[in-house]
Amino acid sequence: MLQTFLDSLIADGTFGAIPRDVAYAIGMVAAGAAVVFGFVLNISGVTTFVERRVWARIQSRVGPNRVGPQGILQWLADGLKLLMKEEAIPYAADATLFKLAPFVVTIGFITAFVAIPFSSALIVADLNLGILYITSMTSLVVVGIMIAGWASNNKWALIGGIRAAAQIVSYEIPAALSIFTVILITGTLSTQGIIQQQGWGPWDWFIFHSPFTFIGFFVTFVALLAEGNRTPFDLPEAESELVAGFVTEYSGARYLFFFLVEWGNLYIIGAILVTLFLGGWQAPHITDSVVGMNILQALTFIVKSYLFVILMMWIRATLPRVRVDQLMTTCWKYLLPISFVNFMGTALWVMIWPQGFRFAEIVLTAMGFGLVGYFLYRVAFHLRRSGAQITLSPLS
Amino acid sequence: MAGALSEYFRNVFDTAAAVLEGMAVTCSHFVRKPTTVQYPDRTDVRVQDTLPYRYRGILEVDLEICTGCLACERACPIDCIVIDAKKDKGTRKMMLNRFDIDIAKCMYCGLCSEPCPTGAIHHTPEFEGADYSLESMVRRFVNESVEAYKPKKVEDDPKISPILERGMRYLDEFAEPGDEAGADA
Amino acid sequence: MSIAGFEVEVERGTGLETEQMTLNMGPQHPSTHGVLRFVIKADGEVMRRAVPDVGYLHRSIEKISEKVGYHGFMPYTDRVDYVAAMFCNQGWGMVTEKLADIEVPKRGEYCRVIAAELNRIASHLLSVGTMILDIGAITPFFHSFREREKINDLLEELCGARLTYNYMRIGGVAWDLPPGYEEKVLGFLGQLEPMLDEFHDLVTENTLFRGRCSNVAAIPGEQAVAYNLVGPNLRASGVRYDVRRDEPYSVYPELEFDVPVGTGAAGSVGDSFDRYAVRIAEIKESMKILRQCFRQIPDGPVVAKVPRKLKPPEGDAQIRVESARGDMSWYAVSDGTEFPYRCKVRTGSFAAMSIIEDISPGLMLADLVTVIASLDIVAPEVDR
Repeated sequence: MLQTFLDSLIADGTFGAIPRDVAYAIGMVAAGAAVVFGFVLNISGVTTFVERRVWARIQSRVGPNRVGPQGILQWLADGLKLLMKEEAIPYAADATLFKLAPFVVTIGFITAFVAIPFSSALIVADLNLGILYITSMTSLVVVGIMIAGWASNNKWALIGGIRAAAQIVSYEIPAALSIFTVILITGTLSTQGIIQQQGWGPWDWFIFHSPFTFIGFFVTFVALLAEGNRTPFDLPEAESELVAGFVTEYSGARYLFFFLVEWGNLYIIGAILVTLFLGGWQAPHITDSVVGMNILQALTFIVKSYLFVILMMWIRATLPRVRVDQLMTTCWKYLLPISFVNFMGTALWVMIWPQGFRFAEIVLTAMGFGLVGYFLYRVAFHLRRSGAQITLSPLS
Repeated sequence: MAGALSEYFRNVFDTAAAVLEGMAVTCSHFVRKPTTVQYPDRTDVRVQDTLPYRYRGILEVDLEICTGCLACERACPIDCIVIDAKKDKGTRKMMLNRFDIDIAKCMYCGLCSEPCPTGAIHHTPEFEGADYSLESMVRRFVNESVEAYKPKKVEDDPKISPILERGMRYLDEFAEPGDEAGADA
Repeated sequence: MSIAGFEVEVERGTGLETEQMTLNMGPQHPSTHGVLRFVIKADGEVMRRAVPDVGYLHRSIEKISEKVGYHGFMPYTDRVDYVAAMFCNQGWGMVTEKLADIEVPKRGEYCRVIAAELNRIASHLLSVGTMILDIGAITPFFHSFREREKINDLLEELCGARLTYNYMRIGGVAWDLPPGYEEKVLGFLGQLEPMLDEFHDLVTENTLFRGRCSNVAAIPGEQAVAYNLVGPNLRASGVRYDVRRDEPYSVYPELEFDVPVGTGAAGSVGDSFDRYAVRIAEIKESMKILRQCFRQIPDGPVVAKVPRKLKPPEGDAQIRVESARGDMSWYAVSDGTEFPYRCKVRTGSFAAMSIIEDISPGLMLADLVTVIASLDIVAPEVDR
């Protein structure tokens, strides 16, 4: 799409005598910058604010509410404060690597946005290796974390870095195996291709495609949580054990980069899950206008993946951290065998019902809604028992 | 084998159930009212006014009813109260030349306000004592030498009687029955 | 061979050589609850040894008593254990009363017990909350502190302060219960119960939490006694000993309560989970005691007549109080003047600190945090 747009611009003579390849490059850079500054930075920033408000509400507090209306500009203030701070580099640290690490992390994170499909047309590049590209790019983060942990010349940071490496490398396997279950069904790695084979209704989503994908969804979710260093798997920066893990020695703007990635990664995790299992940008066809449909699709996608971001905040507020041996047990003894069984099961399922099995889809959808219903019943039970004052307004 | 397998699946199920239950508890907090107070500016009334009567805040002295008996100075375990009370040779009256309380030292224990016979030294609900230097945290209550209060049977001075009434009310709440017996044993 | 221009000898041994890493945890570390310091010898994530280093919070409180007199020392006792100051108040009050042979009025004793049990609930809530925070869950910490704040409000109304209470005096308590106090306390207890149930669902039943605590640093009964563990830590190891029951003081003989012990509900007896569970059970027992106190409290004065310049006869006295952190022993020597000749406090946290070196080998780094939190070590109480 970008190419056709650039072609039309070149045909109009906007670029003058500039060679075609250079024009393409400029267009790519401009598109990348637009994505980074228009979406990535903002979504990370806003996520920090939302996370603090979500936690605060769960913890009977109010949360940041002073900067701007309802504290909505808090993340800008935080970011500015960090940018202005002095960057201390420890005397004994490996200064070059120490300075480099945040950028490696940030590159790994930002380049992943290239293949995320926001709507049927809104995607920087529809790579035919899309989903593989995203997972490999996000695992670049671990290199940065390792560098940070090593270069800080601090034992706590080193332990954090090593933990991150062990954790992310281990969880790549169940994550990849569970992603393959979807690829078995679709036969394509392209993110757009995967979404196009799903429908807008829950019964058309891959999560309800077969019992195996249903379990596979949860396996992927857990594995991606671990890859994103989120509670209950936030061992690399476990603040009560390792002070701050690999970011112990960082301050100022470099610290900001690490947190940009940490919160931005939440969105990527959500986007991967929505793309693979929850129908991506698929929305009901209510208008014939291409632009209108694209806006609707983009909204659907962003809302769906942001719901996952909130879910991950909520999980972080609920669960304690696992120990490092339990982390490995969870991966190798539980997630890995389950994802193997899923993989085989899905392969059989696709062999028997290549077009999908409508009855199972309906039953699984009903089960999913039943689970949500039971959950809401428990929520109501806890509310009733506590006898607390109820307020529905999210404002403070 | 079968036992181990069933335990394996029970572990998975238990974890999932426990996580779900925990999430239900935290979810129910999304719609509960926060309990925190938006100190200092977004409260309906000043926080100081919501504190209980016994609250031990920054000390204050009503010099009008201070008898200069030095009971508070003696009771203070860290000597943060310094009083200079002398009998004037000429007029034969008790004169207060100095009454300083170092609120940087004060630990708000309340031992000084208990033996006070008139309730002159008392705690206020004020607690915001931040200042820029240690010197300015010494509260000096006497600027120039003043006459100490002399207890009368019935207080008839319209200026002093409301202050004394407040002091005695304060004492009522805080009075220690052991006081009278061992005033200077 | 030569590496970077240097001639080095490379040992060709059995394979990979590893060496232990010395880690310095504290005195500034998020989960050492104040200023504790541990020197850890670690082999990767596994600890070989953790040596506690105490003394960072030493304030010579016992020495101060020799300078400020019997009455004036009372506010200093607040600082011995600032999360459970009522017990230190009570300990100092009781030891002086024993020295000077003063009898506390009945109502005064009841006021003391009410204040102390409220404080015990607050202290256990703090302990349990910070333990969960150290394990990594953030929300339960805030929930338990929310309830603790309500107790602070109640105690503030009773004695005018939220942390350093200075409520008790030699011979009783400073002030009687304020009007309407019973309704307020009972109202609070009424809403604490559903909160504890919720806490149970959120934390106790959570398998991740159980996984982090069960079988971690299990201390058998004999070892606990040998190391002089006291209070909830001792009871978690299955030893049913409580000063309130076995060497009753104050009005505890008139009150009915159970002494919960560790049962090994999530693993072995005396592990971190048991220590947590015993504290939760004790909160419930304290609630029971409070309800009885309000039913039984008699009328009358709250403080005995005590001279302002107290000069106990020569001699010494020793008493024990069941503090939130266990058997707290107070010893004082009088030489007949208005200042104590010597005062000595023996606290539970110090004993708990000493056992860490013995139970740490073989634990993971993350477990050390759990152990410190589950032993409920409060730094000022260790050093005084």
